[in-house]
Amino acid sequence: MRTFRILFMLAWRNLWRNHRRTLIMLAAIGVGIWAMIFMTALTQGMVNEMIKDGISALPGEVQVHNPAYLDDPNINNLIATPDSELEKKFTGAGLVQWATRIKVPAVITSERESRGVTLLGIDPQRELGMTFIDLDNIDGRFLEDAADNAVVIGRKLATTLETEVGKRIVLMSQDPDNEIADRGFRVVGLFGASQESFEETYVFAGKETLQKLLKIGDHVTEVVVSGGDYRNVEPVFEKVSALVDEDLQVSRWTDLDSYLGTMLKVMDGFVLVWVIVIFLALSFGLVNTLVMAVFERVREIGLMLALGMRPSSILGQIVIESMLLLFLGMFIGNVLAWLTIIPLQGGIDISIVAEGMEMMGASSVLVPQLRLQDVILANCVVLVLGFLASLSPAWRASRYEPIEAITKAN
Amino acid sequence: MRYLAIAASWLLLPALALTAEPDASQIVRDTIDNWRGVSSYSEMTMTIHRPDWERSMTMRGWTKGDDQSLVRVTAPQKDRGNGTLIDGNSMWSFSPKVNRVIKVPSSMMAQSWMGSDFSNKDIAKSDDIIDQYDHTLLSVSEENGFKVYEIESVPHEEAAVVWGKEVLRIREDHVLLEQKFFDQDGELVKQLKTLKIAEMDGRQTAVQQRMGDVDAPDEWTEIQILQVEFDIDIPDSTFTQSNLRNPRER
Repeated sequence: MRTFRILFMLAWRNLWRNHRRTLIMLAAIGVGIWAMIFMTALTQGMVNEMIKDGISALPGEVQVHNPAYLDDPNINNLIATPDSELEKKFTGAGLVQWATRIKVPAVITSERESRGVTLLGIDPQRELGMTFIDLDNIDGRFLEDAADNAVVIGRKLATTLETEVGKRIVLMSQDPDNEIADRGFRVVGLFGASQESFEETYVFAGKETLQKLLKIGDHVTEVVVSGGDYRNVEPVFEKVSALVDEDLQVSRWTDLDSYLGTMLKVMDGFVLVWVIVIFLALSFGLVNTLVMAVFERVREIGLMLALGMRPSSILGQIVIESMLLLFLGMFIGNVLAWLTIIPLQGGIDISIVAEGMEMMGASSVLVPQLRLQDVILANCVVLVLGFLASLSPAWRASRYEPIEAITKAN
Repeated sequence: MRYLAIAASWLLLPALALTAEPDASQIVRDTIDNWRGVSSYSEMTMTIHRPDWERSMTMRGWTKGDDQSLVRVTAPQKDRGNGTLIDGNSMWSFSPKVNRVIKVPSSMMAQSWMGSDFSNKDIAKSDDIIDQYDHTLLSVSEENGFKVYEIESVPHEEAAVVWGKEVLRIREDHVLLEQKFFDQDGELVKQLKTLKIAEMDGRQTAVQQRMGDVDAPDEWTEIQILQVEFDIDIPDSTFTQSNLRNPRER
């Protein structure tokens, strides 16, 4: 213990012998750590937004379909169990939120334009909180019940079709016999969504109205279930799997949108790679500093060895010196990162590049997300690799021949 | 005798009222019937005009009842054999190049028919105007010695029609003179105009009609009827997919 105190003292004093070099090194480590944590937080924030938006495009982290529906979203690939029976099964199951829907491709036509859209037949009461549209931000009104005879379309779509609230549009789709099913609907509301593509793609109508139009009786194409936490869908998945018939396909959102699902997994790996890359750049500076420090003190180290200090103590002294440097740098880096992230909690407005971000499926406000595990990861990597990097110069210092070292001309 | 005359006049009154104020729906119905007959065979030329090009196709068409029709292109050579079959609400098209009969899906109903200013829907559902609209007579005027009825047709709330209203001008001998399509703000979007009327097979027929968007005056499609026969005997086998693919011409 005493040896350690002496070694610690020696290391600390050695550290400040050339304080300019130490300060530069501290700054380098500090900025390095800051970059690791801050960039990680930004990327995590971006991924988070992408996933949140991505999931909101298919609200419901767990969904039930006819197995053929996912490959061919055709009106023939209905869920065989009638809607009312599904309703009975799901009601008592203790699920946070669920809804049954009809989702089919359709064509919407106004006097001047026509567009392909995804037509959603919903029960508005069930959808509250399960939809990407901002219900407080609707021009006109939202659907009132499942038998509502009107449609709600996106603002962007309304502009393209040159239509507005109160006007009629025609929706065309196909019934199970491949006959054209079409009818006029009055637009009662325009919704806004975080992404323009949603405003362009989705058209909402009453579930029962569509069942009548498409002649599918009491059937739906999907059941969606939300559990609240999209990172942990297994419990909901198991509950739903137990609930429905075996010939139906129950899928997690990670299966439905494998791009996003994979992204979530890849991101954790990406953070590690990012941290290591920064560290590699940093380690050259660190090793170089230590090598210099050792090189300057060859005679001194020789003297200490000649006076009877054990080589392991020399090694310890250099390693402690490097550890002190790293700890101080890490402290500075962490504080710096924290200080920069806190004021940005409201989100960074990147609407200048909103269009590009939207292509990636991210929204135009970026909220950095500081996760404890990422911070710990960055610090651990720096500490462990820093320790390994400092071993080489320390080892060399401890292996000096005392006489050679003392007589070495500087 | 006097009593009889009075009784007779009472009986005739409703009929008299009918002639004085003709029923708009009936006029529309009669116009469509006059146009198609119970069945018909026609030969026509369709000219598609655009600012930088123009092309014509010659076609033969058969119709029967309200909802069966078959159209087949006979010239130019590269389009020869292209056909469209309409049976009820369904529409099929055939192209000899791919040798396939394709059912026109709902997603394509709003698209143009053979590149013209008519949409597939215009062609397939031309008689929807009878039962999907409410008709009111706007005015009766005199033109070249004929009475001309102006009828406003407003689609039903749930009708699969995008127009706010259509205004038809129909001559008293049931020839359509003009059909105007208005959007829901009451602005004119496109119109079908009859340019020439002639007697064909004993009926007054619009032999030259032009369809065009109001926004683009140099883009229009003209249909010219070269020959028409009404109320002829057409076998049901004419309106089948197999006949669409392998024509059995008379």
